[in-house]
Amino acid sequence: MVTLTIDGKTIEVEEGTTILEAALKNGIRIPNLCYDRRLKPYGACRLCVVEVEGQPRLFASCSSPVTAGMAVKTDTPKLRKARQTVLELMLVHHPLDCPLCDKAGECDLQDFAYDYGKPEARFIRHRKKAPPDVRGPLVELTANRCILCGKCVRLCDEHQGRGALGFIGRGFPTVVQPAFGEILECDYCGQCIDACPTGALLSKPYKFKARPWFLEEKDTICPFCGCGCTLTLGIRDGEILRSRGVEGIGQSKGNLCGRGRFGFDYIYSKNRLKTPLIRITPRNSSKLGVKSLELKDKFQSQDSSLNPHPSSFFREASWTEALNYISENLRSISEQHGPSSIGAIGPHRCTNEDNHMLQKFMKNIIGSNNIDSSAAFGYAVVEKAWETAFGQKRHSINLTSPLDKEAILIVESDLTVTHPVFGLNILQAQREGSKIIVADSRETKLTRHSSQQLGIKPGTGIALLNGIMKIIMDQGLFNKETISGIAGFSALQTLLNDYTPEKVCRITGLTEAELTAASETYARAKSRMISLTISASENTKGMDTVLAAANLILLLGDDPGSLQIPAEYSNSFGAYHLLNGSNGLNNSSTGKDIFEMLYNPDSIRALYIMGEDPALNFPDTSSIINKLTSLDFLVVQDIALTETAKLAHVVLPASSWAEKDGTFTNAEGLIQQLQKVIDAAEQPLPDWRILKDLALSMGKDTGIRNIEDITKAITSSFILHPSSFNSQPCFSPINYSPAEKSDTYPMALILRDILQHSGSMSSRSKSLDLVASEAILEINEEDAKKLGIADNSHVKVSSSRTSVYLKARVSDEIPEGAVFVSLHFPHAKINTLTSHSNGMPSITMVKIEAVK
Amino acid sequence: MRYKRDERYKRNERYNAINAMNNFRANIMLCAGTGCVASGATNVKSVLEDELKKKGLEDEIKVVLTGCNGYCAKGPVMSVYPDDIFYQSVTTEEIPKLVEEHFLKGRPYEKLMFKEPEKKSAVPLMKDIPFFKYQVLRVLRNKGLIDPEKIEEYIARDGYQAAAKALTQMTPEDVINVIKDSGIRGRGGAGFPTGMKWEFCSKVRSDVKFMLCNGDEGDPGAFMDRSVMEADPHAVIEGMIIGARAIGSHNGYIYVRAEYPLAVKRLQLAIDQCYEAGLLGKNIFDSGFDFDLEIYQGAGAFVCGEETALMRSIEGKRGMPRPRPPFPAHKGLWDKPSVLNNVETLAQIPLIIMNGADWYKSLGTEKSTGTKVFALTGAVNNIGLIEVPMGTPLKTIIFDIGGGIKKGRKFKAVQMGGPSGGCIPESLIDIPVTYEDVVKTGAIMGSGGMVVMDDNNCMVSTAKFFLEFTADESCGKCVPCRVGTRILLDMLIDITEGRGKESDIEPLEDLGRDIIAASLCGLGQTAPNPILTTIRYFKDEYESHIKDKWCKAGVCRSLCTFMIDEKTCTGCGACMRACPAKAITGEKKKPHNIMQEVCVRCRSCYETCKFNSIRILPASAREKVIW
Repeated sequence: MVTLTIDGKTIEVEEGTTILEAALKNGIRIPNLCYDRRLKPYGACRLCVVEVEGQPRLFASCSSPVTAGMAVKTDTPKLRKARQTVLELMLVHHPLDCPLCDKAGECDLQDFAYDYGKPEARFIRHRKKAPPDVRGPLVELTANRCILCGKCVRLCDEHQGRGALGFIGRGFPTVVQPAFGEILECDYCGQCIDACPTGALLSKPYKFKARPWFLEEKDTICPFCGCGCTLTLGIRDGEILRSRGVEGIGQSKGNLCGRGRFGFDYIYSKNRLKTPLIRITPRNSSKLGVKSLELKDKFQSQDSSLNPHPSSFFREASWTEALNYISENLRSISEQHGPSSIGAIGPHRCTNEDNHMLQKFMKNIIGSNNIDSSAAFGYAVVEKAWETAFGQKRHSINLTSPLDKEAILIVESDLTVTHPVFGLNILQAQREGSKIIVADSRETKLTRHSSQQLGIKPGTGIALLNGIMKIIMDQGLFNKETISGIAGFSALQTLLNDYTPEKVCRITGLTEAELTAASETYARAKSRMISLTISASENTKGMDTVLAAANLILLLGDDPGSLQIPAEYSNSFGAYHLLNGSNGLNNSSTGKDIFEMLYNPDSIRALYIMGEDPALNFPDTSSIINKLTSLDFLVVQDIALTETAKLAHVVLPASSWAEKDGTFTNAEGLIQQLQKVIDAAEQPLPDWRILKDLALSMGKDTGIRNIEDITKAITSSFILHPSSFNSQPCFSPINYSPAEKSDTYPMALILRDILQHSGSMSSRSKSLDLVASEAILEINEEDAKKLGIADNSHVKVSSSRTSVYLKARVSDEIPEGAVFVSLHFPHAKINTLTSHSNGMPSITMVKIEAVK
Repeated sequence: MRYKRDERYKRNERYNAINAMNNFRANIMLCAGTGCVASGATNVKSVLEDELKKKGLEDEIKVVLTGCNGYCAKGPVMSVYPDDIFYQSVTTEEIPKLVEEHFLKGRPYEKLMFKEPEKKSAVPLMKDIPFFKYQVLRVLRNKGLIDPEKIEEYIARDGYQAAAKALTQMTPEDVINVIKDSGIRGRGGAGFPTGMKWEFCSKVRSDVKFMLCNGDEGDPGAFMDRSVMEADPHAVIEGMIIGARAIGSHNGYIYVRAEYPLAVKRLQLAIDQCYEAGLLGKNIFDSGFDFDLEIYQGAGAFVCGEETALMRSIEGKRGMPRPRPPFPAHKGLWDKPSVLNNVETLAQIPLIIMNGADWYKSLGTEKSTGTKVFALTGAVNNIGLIEVPMGTPLKTIIFDIGGGIKKGRKFKAVQMGGPSGGCIPESLIDIPVTYEDVVKTGAIMGSGGMVVMDDNNCMVSTAKFFLEFTADESCGKCVPCRVGTRILLDMLIDITEGRGKESDIEPLEDLGRDIIAASLCGLGQTAPNPILTTIRYFKDEYESHIKDKWCKAGVCRSLCTFMIDEKTCTGCGACMRACPAKAITGEKKKPHNIMQEVCVRCRSCYETCKFNSIRILPASAREKVIW
């Protein structure tokens, strides 16, 4: 620790702290424009100059470390003079077009000029004459307003690992631009917009929408991935106009990705449900009058093959009518076939309160235990493996866990895409000296920033993990003390005998040197971590991969926390624990799970789907659609008319995440409060409220009056009482089984998320759509040449089930023999091709043909 | 980091370690520095060799191309050994006579010798010529003596003995102590003690360290480093080996601007020769010490001479300075401890190791030891490269070595330190040239550019020239430098174009001081110096530019009127012939006249007139002329 005085105040800070940081930590304000906590000191704006006693020169406080006994003054006439001059110089070329700049009112330059500026301008002569660059979809660049603090350039390069912006030219004419002055093509995280101290970088969707002083800002939790970042939403006249991250706020400490920043507008999508809808058949359509006939066009599924009743359509209904209709139908099915013929699926998108209510509704009102959540394809798998391997429950991650690790192994995942803020911490760890070993078949941002890239063949992660374990065993690098207490070690040894480096290299396509180097780097590191993702939108990993990774953790005697597998979506963690968890309400009895409900034709007769879209998101959608259309009764409760809702008998409009109170549990297991920031347009209600009303219309009282009641019930039932369940860890030897080969279908279809989307709801966001609006099949250059596929041309993708048409992008980031595609877009129907095994999507072999 | 050693060895096959050494009666050391090449040395060489062949002397007389001799004003120059006869301004026409007289008949050829200005008598020996007489050659010890492309010739002049001593007989601490004792300060301009720099870096623990050489000489008018790299590349390499040994580095880069192709070529050749001879690479002198050296060519941005920017440039990034700390001794190139030394500094290191600190300190002053190389240019008679002991009075340099002002004009000022420096006026001409004394004047020692100005120079224009340079070369990172230099330049342009206001001088100085106080790197912190020193010593010139709209030197075209003094004009017509605009009229032997609306104020008449009949008057004088 170092003691110094700043403005006469004695301060103790850690060694190596800069003067600016020491001051900020102690509430002393020093003006600055180019400092950012996340970046290396830059020292360009020269506003943060301070005087140090005994030193003739001024010190740039952002880049001067404190020394013991230093006496710093932050506000003297000399400093005011220097700052005044610097600001005067900035305003020489800054256009002062504040009246039509969105930043005005929250502009640092404006504020400092107000603080330090002087009324006369001695040197007004030069203006930059760069026209604003409005070509990009989401970010607008007005070089004239730029004061070249370089925050955007450095943030994009150092922090985001992207480097899409750079300085062009030198001296006075320097401007910030994408390379060669082309259209900005980047991650569209928009972090540069938040960082920009002037109005040089602005959000295009927000442009000219509101002056900042008219905005009401409310914090809530991001509805997309499991990181659980806090969004600060700007609202005017009951409409969300923008979303931004505020420095230091929330789990992400102000970092946001493009989804969180631009994707909130999915709640304003065109096909947002406004009223309940009931499916009617044409026989009684004549009674309905003209209005309903118009609806026919509006809501009838375009694709007749997917329409269960080609001649039926939806009509709008009142809440009372719809709820009565549902209660009648559910009651009659329950009476005829018993309550266990009714099932429910809960989502990761709804709050803990909503899921708890669904649980309660099924259990107490219907009397059925057939309830499962969409987390079954992701977090539930991890949880099961976690329990098997470590004998523990409630697997959670820590977003900052990568930061102090010497070696991080990432298996076939791009966390910078699926969990961008967690990914940022991995990138930061790499900058701080961690060795990042990335095993992936394609090039990703993580492979580009890795210390060692293992270009394995798709889906061979298990073989790789086994190979690493084999080398660790052979070299005696495993933890001999802890290993003796763990069951299954001899079985693992037997299995690993089979995974010689030669064999593993043959499977994975690595060289032995690569494999050995990676194994040694990982095993010899003092602190280690393995990270990967498991979800329905990826098909190269599953429970076995998690178990294999867990084996490696156990073998090295690491803490179970060394395995960091984030829950996939905003409330996957919460949904799973409320609907399936050991403390959940159904743990005593066995209900039917999601696989049985969706894939087994005879399992149930009625299904209540809340906020989930199985007809799009889960593998082998044809089976699911068959099942759903054969149901006696299907209720879908969602915010928009999803693919699944199109099949329903009754569709109920729900409030979106911004329109209700409640809580989300993020991948860290942290329960965070959602805030109702706006009112829902027209009739949507919060999901829990719909269920409560439905129970009432079925003549039963749930005892719930308001949301506080549910929160209380949840709290008292389990969330604050972690499980006492704790059995012994054990090894579960996992054999690698290769994907079946086929001559007819030679290519492996790999599912991967893309950065701009999370699940399928984000595809309804107008802003995100501007960047990625359709499913793109990425294919290797060589393969494309062989198949005669040109970049941006259309291809026919066929699996043994069916075929779909997609646009192809020829890319050198993709390995030969595999094609990559994402699931997010309803029109692409990728999941009609896919299959699943043991509940996990598996690699589907496909044939690619150019469309002539 | 890329090592291309194997490749380098292959390339090196053309080089044979031992040339057949014939004995020659005499060696003609023909300067092949850039200056002499520009004035025709290449032609001189071929004609000379042809002529020697014709006379059958090709086996007796050898023509050797050397690095820069320094006396660039009189190029092409050559000296004949062993006689030490010096010939200047050698032309191809004179060569047959020269060969016949000197090499056949044995009579040194007087016509091409240096002539004493007054007596006009020829001075045959180099050491008697005033230009050389006052110089002490340390950095330039091998100039004109060796063929820079032959390592044997460098070795023959005790080359690499210092490296051998440092590597085999001295510990790194010994080396650092000697360098510290010698008091040598960095010759790049700021004058930081080299020994201390090495000591800081040697104390930092790291697996990789870098020894770097700054050959990015960017000051307009400075060419010391280029000459050293061209004339004695091995001295730089040897200095780097010793430095690397001292700090414990095994990798080095020489950063040279790509505009110095000859320096790059000779350095590369020298590096290749060193690898061949085992002076670079693994286990040098069997000491177990490894050192690899590579050249990195810069694209010529001035700011890349700043150490942190130079390192970013080697990393392949945009050359922009970053704040210090961390200092390069802790985090330099690729965030590894690094030492960056100037070419001239490194070239002296072998001498200090061989001769000891006391020998080095025997020249110079207490705080500025040793010698300094200057590029003497401008209005002096003898422009060229000179090396003098620190503390030599400015007057000696300009009037003795430099041979005084051209055409006997009046000395006005000397600009030292290039764009970072300032102008030292006549009143201060007696100051000794040391780091401390020069700084007191407002100028800086800089890398050694010395531009002498006479009364034909306008000081406002001089300041404007340097500001144009810095404003253009500012990297654009920090605000004071990026915008401030541009504003200063704009104000100077306004003043020189007649738009200046009386209130302009105060903001010029005020803004200049703020830029110095607030800028990030040396470029901005020194950029206003040319303005501040000219305002300090030549404020009257600024005032006459602003108030009287009168540039008395006749440089600022908007602010002067050229007129012919009818009383002294003899009507010789010389000005009329010189005028490119045909603005001068008049009959023979009668006073001439300048048509003001045609005159472009190019100064041609002023410089041509032998009778001083051209007067430079304020711009307003034009209006008074009645036609």
